[in-house]
Amino acid sequence: MNDDLANDPTLIREFVNEAQEGLQHLDEDLLSLEQSPDAREMLDRIFRTVHTIKGTAGFLGFDQLVTLSHAAEDVLNWLRKGESVATSVTVDALLASFDRMRVMVDDISREAIVQYNLDDLVAQLRELLSAATEPTGTSGPGPEAAAPVASEAPQVPEAGEPPTVAEASAASVPQPAPEAAPPAAAAVQRITNMRVEVSKLDELVNLVGELVLQRNRLAELNRQYSEGQLTGADFDSALGDAISRLSFVADELQGASLRTRMIPIDNVFRRFPRVVRDLAHQLGKEVNLEIHGEETELDKTVVEQMADPLVHLVRNSLDHGLEMPEEREAQGKPRTGTVTLDAAQKGDHIVITVSDDGRGIDAERVGKKILERGLVTQERLRTLSSHDILEFIFAPGFSTAETISNVSGRGVGLDVVRTNLKQLNGSVSVRTELGAGTVFTLQLPLTLAVIPVLLVRVAQETYALPLRSVAETVHANRSDVHDVDGTEVIRIGERVLPFCRLERLFGLKSSDHELMRVVILAIGDERIAVAVDRFLGQEQTVIKSLGSCLRHVPGIAGATIGGDGRVRLIVDPAGLLSLVQQQQIGTFEVAM
Amino acid sequence: MMNVATKTNNANRAALEASAQIDLLQIVSFRLGAEEFGLEILKVQEIIRAQDLTRVPNLPDFVEGVINLRGKVIPVIGLRRWFGLEQRPHDKYTRIIVVEARGTVLGFIVDSVSEVLRIPSNTVEPPPRIGKVERDYIAGVGRLDDRLLLLLNLDRLMTSSEILQCEVTEVAEA
Repeated sequence: MNDDLANDPTLIREFVNEAQEGLQHLDEDLLSLEQSPDAREMLDRIFRTVHTIKGTAGFLGFDQLVTLSHAAEDVLNWLRKGESVATSVTVDALLASFDRMRVMVDDISREAIVQYNLDDLVAQLRELLSAATEPTGTSGPGPEAAAPVASEAPQVPEAGEPPTVAEASAASVPQPAPEAAPPAAAAVQRITNMRVEVSKLDELVNLVGELVLQRNRLAELNRQYSEGQLTGADFDSALGDAISRLSFVADELQGASLRTRMIPIDNVFRRFPRVVRDLAHQLGKEVNLEIHGEETELDKTVVEQMADPLVHLVRNSLDHGLEMPEEREAQGKPRTGTVTLDAAQKGDHIVITVSDDGRGIDAERVGKKILERGLVTQERLRTLSSHDILEFIFAPGFSTAETISNVSGRGVGLDVVRTNLKQLNGSVSVRTELGAGTVFTLQLPLTLAVIPVLLVRVAQETYALPLRSVAETVHANRSDVHDVDGTEVIRIGERVLPFCRLERLFGLKSSDHELMRVVILAIGDERIAVAVDRFLGQEQTVIKSLGSCLRHVPGIAGATIGGDGRVRLIVDPAGLLSLVQQQQIGTFEVAM
Repeated sequence: MMNVATKTNNANRAALEASAQIDLLQIVSFRLGAEEFGLEILKVQEIIRAQDLTRVPNLPDFVEGVINLRGKVIPVIGLRRWFGLEQRPHDKYTRIIVVEARGTVLGFIVDSVSEVLRIPSNTVEPPPRIGKVERDYIAGVGRLDDRLLLLLNLDRLMTSSEILQCEVTEVAEA
């Protein structure tokens, strides 16, 4: 019977969901427990979660998971009995075993169960217990009382004391730390299920009911019309009414279904206490993490895709931003550095900031670096403001770290952040003050699903330009276009802007007009002028992906369905800009 | 009465068992030029009439565009272009075969779709060298009376169209 049930995919899926959710909260709870070791409630909750996982895993026959959760449970029980408090050694060992449990559960969900070597983890957990049960005299409570200190500087055992637990601490800390770091980063997992408030679903169901009513109304009108009961103006006005009601329902339905996709950003933020704790240990820094606005709601896909950029930024702040405790003291700052994560909604945007009170970014050093890396020429550098220079930290291949650490400094961090943000139609900017700290500001659309666009006609095709990137639309004469060193620019009023013809970039039949219609697109601080044949107007549009095998078409962000049922492409302004730039330096050949 | 019923049941079962032993492949057959091709029916999601395509810029030319399939945008590949056959305009027989493989939904434009055939799997032979159509994409040749069906290797097709897509992106980003 056990075997039959153990093979039931539904049961296994439920178990995986439950376990993943439980494990997600475990880290958080455990870290709060470390902060306030007396929080009995917290301890009970952790114990219950582990116990549930153990129980179900046993029932389903995942024996290795049982072994590990059993060992963890023993340690937790020992804490519950009040025989010890959660020291950083205990917490480290527990975190390491939770990480392993996560890996195992993930493997179960992928149906790729392997044999794990659990001896080290189980031994580590058992060691905690045996160290405690062996009579150690006064040295037992010694290191435990020193727990808060030990958690900040775990590698330094209390001087003069040779306590057994502290020995275990010195021996075991370096071990779990490197092991714990990768899973913490990998914990950035895709959420494949989501919980939706019942009230949000009720709203949807109501609206769908309304939709059905409106459909019936239209069918009824159709019948009356074809039977001749309703004609002329009467029919027109009845149809108009029905359509306006239908579009009201459709709008509401759109809003309501988008709301079901919104989840609090806490889903990402809650990983950070763990990330910061592990990293601070590894770097030997003292860090206090503050989180604000975790209840801010964002589209699920946005939240998921924010995880990577945020991890990069937080790691960056810890590694490059914050100074070592001694250095901070020497500068008259508090020993403990502060990293703050903050989220807030501003209009139809979400603004997330990652700030630290560290050393700030030295524009002069950045300047030297970009010169060394050949990213700019000496002459060009002189003309750049410090703000312009700072922009280079987002350039591919840039890193100011003197040595490559495994935390950051491979020069992949910040340009990845910018790319990720661009993919989300967002932006990232930096503000820094030497000696006082750095603030990274991320701006994101509330939802990815609906955006206002400007529809334009080019050759025979209709394209949609995201309105947020449209700075203005103007009419210009062909004589305003000038050729400068093989690249076209256009003079509009007092400004000279890089100029491109959409039909040429997209390889369509070109049509030359004397009077041109030009859209000026703003991408960050850059502007380009794009010539189109006609402006068709504005529209709210639902973004769809081009399908998994056409994910990265240069210059195209996605697609939408027009009123005629045809697919319309949505232009990606940033992609367009890089297409134009590539064309200028001649590495990109447009097939024509 | 009882006996008769049982007998019929047994006869049915015997027939079923016999047919189960020789695996029958269910194949959707379609035409491209003079040749007749086949696709395993399990891979085919649906077959639709040709409709207005939206061209997507800067892609290899065998990607003829994208269409709206009940609110989902799917890419459509011209099999004639893909196989290097000469182009011809769409007509009333032109169809789009919508397939799903490796988690991707794709459409293939073909000249016409003929019928659903059952062919015993043991009559399928390994692919010979065939003129213009690349041998790689043919899983085998099915025989039904005097007709020859080139069975497409969908997984291969999909993989190579993905690879092409990647190359395109790399060139563009270089």
